[in-house]
Amino acid sequence: MSGGQSVAGGGAAKRSEDGRIGWLFDPKLVSVALASVAVVVAGGLVQVSFGAYSMTVVEAWRAVLDPAVLLDPRWLLNFLVGEGLMRSITGFQGELPELAHTTLIVWDIRLPRVFVAAIVGMNLGVSGAIFQAVTRNELASPFILGVSSGAGLMILLTLVVFGGLTAFLPLIAALGGAVAFLIVYAIAWKNGTSPVRLVLAGVIVGTVFNSLQTGLFFFADDIGVVQSAIQWTTGSLTGTDWEQVRMALPWTVVAVVLSLAGSRQLNLLLLGEQTAKSLGMSIEKVRFALSGVAVLAAAASIAVAGIVSFVGLIVPHMVRNLVGSDYKRVIVGCLFVGPALMVGADVGARLGMSVLTGADSQIPVGIVTGLVGGPYFLYLMRRQQNMGEL
Amino acid sequence: MATEHANATDVDEPNGTNEAGGTGDASGAGDASDLDGENLVLGYPTASEPVIDGESIAAEPGAVTALVGPNGSGKSTLLKGLANQLAPDDGSVLVDGRDVHSMDTKTLARKLGLLSQESTSPDSITVEDLVYHGRYPHRGFFERTTDEDARAVEEAIELAGCGHLRDREVGSLSGGQKQLAWIAMVLAQDTDVLLLDEPTTFLDLHHQMEVMEIIETLRDESDVTVVVVLHDIEQAARLADRMVALKDGEIRARGAPEAIVTEELLADVFRVDADVVQTENGPRVTPIRARHEEPASSATETDPNGDEPASAAEEGRAPIGTEASGD
Repeated sequence: MSGGQSVAGGGAAKRSEDGRIGWLFDPKLVSVALASVAVVVAGGLVQVSFGAYSMTVVEAWRAVLDPAVLLDPRWLLNFLVGEGLMRSITGFQGELPELAHTTLIVWDIRLPRVFVAAIVGMNLGVSGAIFQAVTRNELASPFILGVSSGAGLMILLTLVVFGGLTAFLPLIAALGGAVAFLIVYAIAWKNGTSPVRLVLAGVIVGTVFNSLQTGLFFFADDIGVVQSAIQWTTGSLTGTDWEQVRMALPWTVVAVVLSLAGSRQLNLLLLGEQTAKSLGMSIEKVRFALSGVAVLAAAASIAVAGIVSFVGLIVPHMVRNLVGSDYKRVIVGCLFVGPALMVGADVGARLGMSVLTGADSQIPVGIVTGLVGGPYFLYLMRRQQNMGEL
Repeated sequence: MATEHANATDVDEPNGTNEAGGTGDASGAGDASDLDGENLVLGYPTASEPVIDGESIAAEPGAVTALVGPNGSGKSTLLKGLANQLAPDDGSVLVDGRDVHSMDTKTLARKLGLLSQESTSPDSITVEDLVYHGRYPHRGFFERTTDEDARAVEEAIELAGCGHLRDREVGSLSGGQKQLAWIAMVLAQDTDVLLLDEPTTFLDLHHQMEVMEIIETLRDESDVTVVVVLHDIEQAARLADRMVALKDGEIRARGAPEAIVTEELLADVFRVDADVVQTENGPRVTPIRARHEEPASSATETDPNGDEPASAAEEGRAPIGTEASGD
């Protein structure tokens, strides 16, 4: 018994030495994070350098690191929280100092788009990771429980029928997704739910809403409305601004904190419903709360970028392949890999057409993520024997 | 069914009384916990007839009680009912006099642990991490692991004998090794009552013995009240202090192993002709042939068609199948 005690002491010491954040320094997780950051920086640099007003990479670097912005809290706040709030925080009433032309283009137009892409990537990655654990299904995505179809239907309704409400489209789309999720949950509920019931209810609601959404296209009399609807329903970052950063960032922070806090519950869900229950988890409450967090993250991304497909499906896969199934690491990994995929895809969406055809037009980023995501998924499927098992 | 009870195996009479009635007086059993199921009616939403229709069972505090019976007899269902995994249509389950249904889920999980028949986990989780999950009911929402958690985990790993596996990934283990890891997890839960659903099924002989030895250690060195479902009647007789035999959702006999494992009971409950020899390692059962005609006692009750849904439900196919297909 004394031998056992000393072993126990050693194990305890090892655990507490790891402490609350020891697991973060897992070499695999660190390399995933570093590689993702490299992709985001490279993609971001391409994004800020090229466009209608092209500059060299050196110029772009200078503009990004322009001390006139970076060292001036008024400018930073102006971008991050908006002009009004900036003025009430700093008490500054005069004109902001003028910026160089390149700095203005980079900071005012091109950089926010990179940030929005990163935020959307984070949200979709985390949301997908949660849904894959909650439904215990590797093919689950943020949109599996009706979120995308609800949002899509509301987008079409707003654009086609209630044109006057277009200004509130982001909010309406996010709300539509959340309401659809609640409907799915209500349909699946019968003395509690199960992963399969939830997924089936999601399919049912999705089918009906998608039909309604497609039907609404017939009532669109303006090609502009249709294009706008397509942009929203395939996901696009065109024209995103600091406004979108400000809109999504607070919810993203909330969703990320909650999902990290819930990672132990997610790990337990992976052991199966019976085990989780016998270990004393109130499984229905936990499942609903975690789904709610995932819907919040998905809704935040829908509000700024529309329905970007595939990111939420692939990112958790990639991360799980790289760092293992421990959800603390999976969530943190998604916070890095999601932005990398999204920023990378947006380079293609924004500049791809002009490279390929010379035309100065952009395609919705959702098309690029689908084009990149499909083949990558195929590759995963080919390589892995036990696809579909979590 | 209640009338049937009376003319079941006569073994029921002498031992049955002190078992079923022993709700309050844990006779000299120190800190060990009681587990009582009273007039339990258990069934599945998919089947109209309940699998268990009004049975009472009391686990002897600090001892090992084995549930035995043929496929479809309701033993797993009864165990699920006792573990609060299946809400009873009627009746109640009491742990130390408290109704499990009204207890907070985590409080219950600190009192009562269950090892299910089928357990799934991600392949890449390590054994140590799996065992740490057993500490879930002892931790608050944001609490990190304490020294007490670490101690419980170490003891559980040592008792389950899977120290050499601690850093292995569960997906790389054999079936027997996996079972040891899962047992370590429920041991780390550190409960007063432990319910095990066929812990030795599908294991090779070595791992069967390992599991048996773990349960023996629990019986000899701790106050844990163990209820275990076993397929192997010899194994059950060797391991258990008390045995409960079920057939068609009824408790046919209960008592000490020597009194339960008899040729008559094997004929009645398991429908086999067998030789039973008492040895120093407990009774040895040599099955000779299957009995094809229905035993007279239950011929009036059981029609062959009615047996089918009950057995499907007993194997847990209805509720578990839905979950498993979502994997």
